[in-house]
Amino acid sequence: MKLTGIGASEGVAVGPAFVPATGRPQPERERITENEVETELQMFGKAVEAVVGNLSETANNLRASGKEEEAGIFEFHVEMAEDPELVSAVEERIRNLQSPEAAVLAAGEEYAAQFAQMDDEYMAARADDVRDVMGQISAQLMGRGASGFEALQIPSVVLAQSLAPSDTARIKVGMALGFVTAEGSRTSHVSIMARSMGIPAVVGVGPTLDGALDAQAVALDGGDGYAIADPDADTVAEFERMSAALDEERAALDEYRHLEASTSDGRRIEVAANLGSASEADDALEWGAEGVGLFRTEFLFMERDDLPTEDEQYQVYSAVARAFGEKPVIVRTLDAGGDKDLPGVEQAHEENPFLGWRGIRMSLDTPELFKPQLRAILRAAVHGNLRVMFPMVADVGELRAAKTILQESRRELKAEGVDTGEVETGVMIETPAAAICAAELAKESAFFSIGTNDLVQYTLAADRGNERLRRLQSADHPAVLALIRQTCEAASVVGIQVGVCGEAAGEPEMIPKLVELGVTELSMGAPSIPRAKKVVSEL
Amino acid sequence: MAERETTVGPEEGIHGRPAARFVQTAKGFSSQVVIVKGDREVNAKSVLKITGLARKGDKITIRAEGEDAEEAVEALTQLISADEH
Repeated sequence: MKLTGIGASEGVAVGPAFVPATGRPQPERERITENEVETELQMFGKAVEAVVGNLSETANNLRASGKEEEAGIFEFHVEMAEDPELVSAVEERIRNLQSPEAAVLAAGEEYAAQFAQMDDEYMAARADDVRDVMGQISAQLMGRGASGFEALQIPSVVLAQSLAPSDTARIKVGMALGFVTAEGSRTSHVSIMARSMGIPAVVGVGPTLDGALDAQAVALDGGDGYAIADPDADTVAEFERMSAALDEERAALDEYRHLEASTSDGRRIEVAANLGSASEADDALEWGAEGVGLFRTEFLFMERDDLPTEDEQYQVYSAVARAFGEKPVIVRTLDAGGDKDLPGVEQAHEENPFLGWRGIRMSLDTPELFKPQLRAILRAAVHGNLRVMFPMVADVGELRAAKTILQESRRELKAEGVDTGEVETGVMIETPAAAICAAELAKESAFFSIGTNDLVQYTLAADRGNERLRRLQSADHPAVLALIRQTCEAASVVGIQVGVCGEAAGEPEMIPKLVELGVTELSMGAPSIPRAKKVVSEL
Repeated sequence: MAERETTVGPEEGIHGRPAARFVQTAKGFSSQVVIVKGDREVNAKSVLKITGLARKGDKITIRAEGEDAEEAVEALTQLISADEH
């Protein structure tokens, strides 16, 4: 029997079927008596406290292991469990002699039903969150655990109506081979979890799942989005072959991890990693990064109440510099703007923050922000091979102004008797203006790095977040390619390196074009490195 | 009492983690805080009430009453108008 749905997480798997004993929790009692009210109110308070405790612990564990997105889900659940409006609604029901377990399910269902009706897929998915959390509180009140995943003891494919974060979090490592769910979309939690666990998932197969719940075994293809219940021997063999082929493909790419990639005509192409935080450095080296083509520094400034101090920044930059040793690390100075909050910096509301006061524009106007960052980079450069790159440059005047502040910072540090390291300066080519003025910029830069994501957005006048404009969101457009060519030509006249640090750098179909245009460094999300090296070495 | 009108920033509107952060911030103030959208007025400290209330680009008003009303409105306006991406 074939179940067709949405491929939500790539990969294939075949194995025994596991159907968790779930279904909507049923309250043990509907009504209570007048003299039980006070005790039941207390019991309800304790149940909420216990569930909040569990959820917070899960959130903290996920955060500690670097899983921010998943941790956020559980924080949302904590807020739901202790929601003041919900708590008072449940308390009122208890005072009206409804049992607390029935009250919490009924009060939660009012919200769940409301979310489920919304025409927005993402909002509708929040109905599952409410039911999940209310189910946990009611199970706590009735003295039971919330789901049947304790029974999952051998690696299996999990079949379920839907899977809540509290379900997936309860699965022991390695026990889930894949997920098949009746409900869900690519943005459902189950899909996010599957991708983060690295297992295949097919979601949204609909009511056909009911016919498959008795299956002994299941095969699924999370790329093409289908599953087969009780596959015959030929199908099992086929899936085992596909699974082995995928493993082999991954293993084959492993060979390329630590290769120094060159084209067949002998052009050496450096393949580097983009880092969004210092904690990603070791992982990037594992994947075979030959340096860091883009070290974003925004993470240091976000979600806090004050600006990071020079020392704090120095520690972070030093850690990355040390991890990479002689390999170059390009630190991009702060690229924040009106779309992100920045502590201590007055930002007026902007109609078009991507065309607003951001990147180098903000840095030059805000020395109290810019100088500590430059000083920290200069000091950390003692520990490795740091380079500094300025974002959003539109003309050579900005580059000169930024370099002047860098020199000033170096002089000040020297006067203070503080050691500084050599730091080359370069420009991020992401405005069409910078590409057009590349010849002039090249004379005063030690390197260029093309930020294709923004270069595409600005060149094609197409918002990179607008789904309707997908056609205009690729670097593979004659106008963008012409600007890349112009940038590479300007760089080659003075003999400086040109990297690409946008998404295009890791796309197998774009790499040959970029290399052909004269790009000598490709920087990408670390897991793409082995494949990029393979593509380069086959050119 | 303090109040301010603002525009919702996050791409998917108010839901999930941004909603949780908003509620956590609101709870940090002793003032009573509400979000007003059209003719709806909801408790800003209730994640269930604010979830799905507004989408990116919607105009909403944040109103607070109490000792720290000004600070509450200031902090929450900043949070909700910021683009999460």
